[in-house]
Amino acid sequence: MTKNNTENKRELPQVYVDDMLMSLKYFTDEHELHLSIIDPAVCQACENQPCIDFCPVGAYRSQDGRTVQIAVQSCVECGTCRVLCPYQNVSWKNPRGGFGVSYKFG
Amino acid sequence: MSKDKLQYDVIVVGAGMAGSTAAAIVARSGLKVAVIERGVKPGSKNYFGGALYTHALLDIYPDFFDRKPPLERPVTETGFWFLSEDGMVKATVQGGYVNSDPIDAYVALRAEFDPWWAEQAAAEGAFFIPKTLVTDFLYEDAKVIGVKTDRPEGDVYAPVVIICEGVNNLLTQKLGLIDHDLKISKTALAVKQLISLPAKDINARLGLLDNKHGLAISVIGDVSLGMPGLGFLYTTNNALSMGVGVTLDALEETQIKPYELLQRYLEHPAIAPIIKDGQLMEYGAHLIPEGGWTTLPKLYTDGAMVAGDAASMVNAIHWEGTNMAITAGKQAALTAIEAHKKNDFSAKTLAGYQKRLNETFVLKDLKQYRKMSAFLANHPEFMDIYPTFLNDALGMFFTGFGKPKGKLYKDIFRSLTRRRPLLKAVGDLVAFGRAITGI
Repeated sequence: MTKNNTENKRELPQVYVDDMLMSLKYFTDEHELHLSIIDPAVCQACENQPCIDFCPVGAYRSQDGRTVQIAVQSCVECGTCRVLCPYQNVSWKNPRGGFGVSYKFG
Repeated sequence: MSKDKLQYDVIVVGAGMAGSTAAAIVARSGLKVAVIERGVKPGSKNYFGGALYTHALLDIYPDFFDRKPPLERPVTETGFWFLSEDGMVKATVQGGYVNSDPIDAYVALRAEFDPWWAEQAAAEGAFFIPKTLVTDFLYEDAKVIGVKTDRPEGDVYAPVVIICEGVNNLLTQKLGLIDHDLKISKTALAVKQLISLPAKDINARLGLLDNKHGLAISVIGDVSLGMPGLGFLYTTNNALSMGVGVTLDALEETQIKPYELLQRYLEHPAIAPIIKDGQLMEYGAHLIPEGGWTTLPKLYTDGAMVAGDAASMVNAIHWEGTNMAITAGKQAALTAIEAHKKNDFSAKTLAGYQKRLNETFVLKDLKQYRKMSAFLANHPEFMDIYPTFLNDALGMFFTGFGKPKGKLYKDIFRSLTRRRPLLKAVGDLVAFGRAITGI
């Protein structure tokens, strides 16, 4: 009878975010990247690399567990990385007019 | 610089709810207005829950419904669902005030609605320039006299610019109307899945008679894992809009992946049956500027005004934002028209925008709710303990198990007090009252 939900949470499921990105439409800018890492060494030295977790489309990846790379073409321009990067190490602009994510439904 | 300088009476940056509204009002007065939109078309960058409020839409076009707007279902039932880990208490309202004529809110999809809303403004005479990013302002004697764009020879001139650039208000910052970027404790990241389902399944699973009935639900409790945040559910004609929003500082602290939080919500035992066999139509993410009054920029300067998400005009508790954007866009437009009549575009004249907004619900509500974001940050128990307690209390009350009722009430009381001492609980309630009344 006595349940204690708060101390015994359902776990977070593992999600392959790339599968969800298939539902999105993008106009990819082949010539200009609107996002970039300012100083890769800062990311290398960043302890938690929170961008890998907080980015809602998983655009921040690390193959070797230290070097952070951005899959710019999957960016939905939300702005989270610009304000949450602990070292303000992201150069964030809007894509050029007509490029980037283009929601079909919204 | 081209020989023919592109000159308008008013420039609007962004063709969202605020921008296309401002453009319509300006154009209606006979002034020349250009709306510059960075997306392929209006709405292509917008992602919301969500519902639009008819009071605001009708205020701009009294014959709004005769124009056959691309709306989804009317909201005929609305309220809260409180989730515990494995249960749910529903507190929703239907009929009565909700069954107004016209219905107060309609579910919409922004990529469909925004182009239509822009078309209405175009019919008033507004000129839309899509696929164009405004990158900076043009100044003369420190007064804004136009904008720079990313088009070749892309300068566009107007003595007054209305900035409706959305939540990532980089132009507003550039202009010095606010001296900081978005605050992580006062900005939420919302992620959403639009899930396709046959209308008959939506209706059967949610108890809706037909497509003329729809739900708008705020989901509290287990959905946000104790973080300040909410889940939501809206019904479109043939899909469910299911999402969750949490503040950025909570995301930072917990290092939770937002799409996993969303998936966890969708797998909740009370939620999963609702979306069973649904197909993902679209996933997306957007920031919500929940700071309201506390992150309100200066709303005007020489030659420019700011409205909508760019100005933090969101009431996070009531999920209002589009209506504030429409109302603010209109007031900015009326101020731009007045400035043209006086031929004075200085901050002194544009201060009329703030005065006008003070008389509307926009600034009244934002001011009243100014303590809300701090309240939610300091009272995680409303996202965690109380929804669970509610589930336990009602669950125990409505079951028997041969337990004497005296013991039942003791158990219910204990299920609260072992999570939160009674005095603290009373204090929480008082704090909540203060946060919504603004006293």
